[in-house]
Amino acid sequence: MRLRLTFDRPSGRDLTVFGGYCLAAAVYIAIGVAWIDFLLSFWVGLGYLLVAAWLVPSLVRRLA
Amino acid sequence: MSWAAHDLEPYAIQKHMRLKVAFVPLLIGSYSPDMMTKWFVYGIHLGPWDLKASDPAQFHRGWPGFGFTHSLVYGVAIGLVIWKVFGSKLWGVSFCIAQFAHAITDAGDTVGTMLLFPWTFHFHIDAWAYAGQTGRMTDAAAYFSGLGCMWDLVFIVYGLYSWRVLTSAYFDNVIYRADAFWPWLNRAVPRGALLVLYRAAFFYGTSRWIAWTIWAHVIHHYPYDLSWGGPHWVPAAHP
Repeated sequence: MRLRLTFDRPSGRDLTVFGGYCLAAAVYIAIGVAWIDFLLSFWVGLGYLLVAAWLVPSLVRRLA
Repeated sequence: MSWAAHDLEPYAIQKHMRLKVAFVPLLIGSYSPDMMTKWFVYGIHLGPWDLKASDPAQFHRGWPGFGFTHSLVYGVAIGLVIWKVFGSKLWGVSFCIAQFAHAITDAGDTVGTMLLFPWTFHFHIDAWAYAGQTGRMTDAAAYFSGLGCMWDLVFIVYGLYSWRVLTSAYFDNVIYRADAFWPWLNRAVPRGALLVLYRAAFFYGTSRWIAWTIWAHVIHHYPYDLSWGGPHWVPAAHP
């Protein structure tokens, strides 16, 4: 019997969503490295993510 | 102490237990041992006052102190209160499991945790240095230079490998269905925002891990020391 390690492949849509979060993360990390206090609070991170990953995309979709 | 594992552990637990646990109490349970104590470990300025524990490690993990928050009995006690007072066995059990995960993970450092409190023995495997007493910045530099940050990395990699846990389909079919909290919140908050709320702790833990690593090793050039009990350039606290 042969054992194979398989990886569940994401779809194009999944990768697009992931790319959006990576972009949001890159900005968050850049701000955090420059101004370390930004990294300290979970609530700041949550607020940032709501704006970057939900509010802004929702507004862009509505305007488009 | 851990800097990102407690953000990420709930996703790993959720992946394995699916509908048997609820995500929000998992996250609260995972954060709960440090909720009341972390600010006093590092100290804060309040107007003219500087508030800080005179012995941060003792305050954080010891007895007398708030070390009981890192014990198994604390998880059981709060879990029982949630179950019996607030009437949710699902929330009580979920809180308890995640609090256990936090307490056990923190036994990885040199101070360890009083897992079997009221027995005040500290269980510690000394894998990485506890340096909370040195202040937030030195603690961050030390943590992100030793095996502690590698333990966090295990959860980041495991989360990315288990990427379906973070998808909208998983949120709809498992997270949302497992806990009436989400439909309740959905009356006021759109579903897209709920999905972002669910993913937030993973985003926060992973992004913060990367940011602190850059801060410690690109901006400040602290040396890595991945030996057992390291980094040895920081004075580690012991029970």
